[in-house]
Amino acid sequence: MSSNVDESNEHEELPTANAGEARSGDDDGGDAVASEPEEFVEDGRADRALDLIVDVLTRMGMDCTVDLMENEPEDPESDIRIEISGTDASRLIGKKGDTLAALQFICNRVINRPTLSRRHVLIDADGYRQRREQALATMAQRLGQQAVDEGKIITFEPMSAQDRRIVHLALAKFTGVLTKSEGKGTARRVQIIPVREAT
Amino acid sequence: MARTAEGLAGLVEVLARALVDQPDRVRVELARGDRHPRVELTVDPDDIGKVIGKDGRTAQSMRVLLNAAATKQGFNRAFLDVVD
Repeated sequence: MSSNVDESNEHEELPTANAGEARSGDDDGGDAVASEPEEFVEDGRADRALDLIVDVLTRMGMDCTVDLMENEPEDPESDIRIEISGTDASRLIGKKGDTLAALQFICNRVINRPTLSRRHVLIDADGYRQRREQALATMAQRLGQQAVDEGKIITFEPMSAQDRRIVHLALAKFTGVLTKSEGKGTARRVQIIPVREAT
Repeated sequence: MARTAEGLAGLVEVLARALVDQPDRVRVELARGDRHPRVELTVDPDDIGKVIGKDGRTAQSMRVLLNAAATKQGFNRAFLDVVD
């Protein structure tokens, strides 16, 4: 039974990790760079997230590799992106991505203790999340057009905050509709509302 | 190649220790005799909220991971009890 999670981490962490170099400023205290409040300093939580996931997947007996990825330019620098690949990647996605979502939820719990600034941990496996996000954005735009054509409010199934965000963003610049979320907790759902041009 | 259920208890221990403020107070026990493996998790009373989470979401996430691990290791499923 080979679980190469541990080794692969050590090999592949090096080229992609933006964690190592930036961490020298760790103990400087938060107020050192008042002139550049925008500057993001890696606080070691990316490595902690990676270590935790490697540890958990090893315990689960999963045959896979785990990589810390570079952030996309449009994403906040504080985001932590982790990609899982290998034989058991599909097993780790689970039904409708529920296993991946559970791993991501717990990882965010551990990384975002109270008192610390929030850093989103985003975990993908074999590009699943990326494919799904694209499909969801495409569907949102199709339904946006339908809302305009039929002049009716279209309501989605309940979705996670991340999925709702994708719908909102996909329709943000779509003329003729606005989007909002309604309902509480896990029942919260997006509505696409056609707006009449004020003419 | 059936693995033992001890690995499942180890998984719960890793998850719980990462979540709580007092990792040294985390105890996991594997209940035997049941048809499916059952992991019993005990944490410091002050940490119970951290392993259960709002609406039980943290505990539910641990169960999802536990079941994925159980399936991988040849069990049909596994249970997690948070002991209070």
